[in-house]
Amino acid sequence: MKEINYLSASNTEDALSLLSGFGENAKIIAGGTDILVRLKDNVIKEDTLIDISGVRELKGIYEDKDIIHILPLTTHTDIIESPVICKHLPILRDAVKSIGSPQIRNRGTIGGNIANASPAGDSIPALYVLSAYVRVKSREKERMVSINEFYKGPGQTVLDSNEMIVDIVIPHMKEQEIGFFRKVGQRNAISIAIANVAVKLEVSGENRFSNASVAFGALAPTVLRAKLIENALLNEVCDSPEKLLYISKLSEREVSPITDIRGSASYRIEMSTNILYEGLLLMFLKGWKR
Amino acid sequence: MRLKEVNINFTLNKENYSLSVPSNMTLLQIIRDVLHLTGTKCGCEKGECGACTVIMNGVSVNACLVIAAQVDGSSITTIEGIGNALNLHPIQKAFVEEGAVQCGFCTPGMIVSAYYLLNKNPSASDDEIREGLSGNLCRCTGYLKIIEAVKKAEKELNEIKR
Repeated sequence: MKEINYLSASNTEDALSLLSGFGENAKIIAGGTDILVRLKDNVIKEDTLIDISGVRELKGIYEDKDIIHILPLTTHTDIIESPVICKHLPILRDAVKSIGSPQIRNRGTIGGNIANASPAGDSIPALYVLSAYVRVKSREKERMVSINEFYKGPGQTVLDSNEMIVDIVIPHMKEQEIGFFRKVGQRNAISIAIANVAVKLEVSGENRFSNASVAFGALAPTVLRAKLIENALLNEVCDSPEKLLYISKLSEREVSPITDIRGSASYRIEMSTNILYEGLLLMFLKGWKR
Repeated sequence: MRLKEVNINFTLNKENYSLSVPSNMTLLQIIRDVLHLTGTKCGCEKGECGACTVIMNGVSVNACLVIAAQVDGSSITTIEGIGNALNLHPIQKAFVEEGAVQCGFCTPGMIVSAYYLLNKNPSASDDEIREGLSGNLCRCTGYLKIIEAVKKAEKELNEIKR
């Protein structure tokens, strides 16, 4: 691992002034589970690390009426074990459960998963369908960015070099909303997704939906919303496996994956259909209930 | 202040340490190369194999993914802090008795993961044991003996408690 300058922030203000001082030469480290691997691979160009892992005010989960706030240093394990998340954001819980391994989830943070901007980041499709917002802050200003507008490309976000994530804001799922997260990887644990999908549906009648959100990961340069599928789910009466398969096959027209070490583009396209179909079929068999 | 060395104070296996180490060192290097405790193994060095699993502040972590400065102020338990040849922990004993050790390279990490799991969930089901060990790779046993050993240790530990 290359030599690094290591700076540690004790609170948010401290972190923001270090960021504005070092800017493009610095990278934030939280749990370190991604950045350590990248440092060892020598792909980090910055030579300064700003450690925010000791900033207590950026860790925790709280509710404010129908809104859940997940602070960025909350670990994946904290999210999985939170009764509030289990009750109100089960799609996020399922997504986070598929990240890494117990050891990785004990250290890795939700803020890190978001900021790392991997097209395959497992929490991200769930955050898309849950209409999450990310609060970002610099010394000068603070802004709210929809997760749908947060990514510019693989590893690229709208964050300026002096900004960092200070809150993740997600509305409760409504009573009549259901959904799922599914992933295919090379093994169950510690696998980077070959394809993943998150779905949220608002049930409005028998086999009918008044709202549908579908987001795929690892199938395009960024996580993508599958608009054709969403429209089909809204317009069709989803009363048979055949119809669900027909809708799921629309994924072929939505995704634009690459071939890499984990899977070929054509395999990924087939998997996108399969994981969506499996998930929808399971929900159908449960009578579209949670 | 810009630092390429970091001063760290921490507790490891109930002993206090105060060290100055290069800022790009990992907890794994501190344990093996500085403190010469070689029970914790160095496998993939990217968090995939779990051979370097230790307990840090009460939770299991991959020591290869913890950077030196983040060790400051923490409390670490390695396999040496769980048991030794003269005083085996019930999990270690069960691994020996069940034939869950073949080449032995994954064993310390497996035992630390099992130790963390059974502390947290003393009545872990088969599936929960598999999930609890999912961050540890074994290339010899095929896992079945390891899972049997953890089940045996779980029973044993619950009997000791009673």
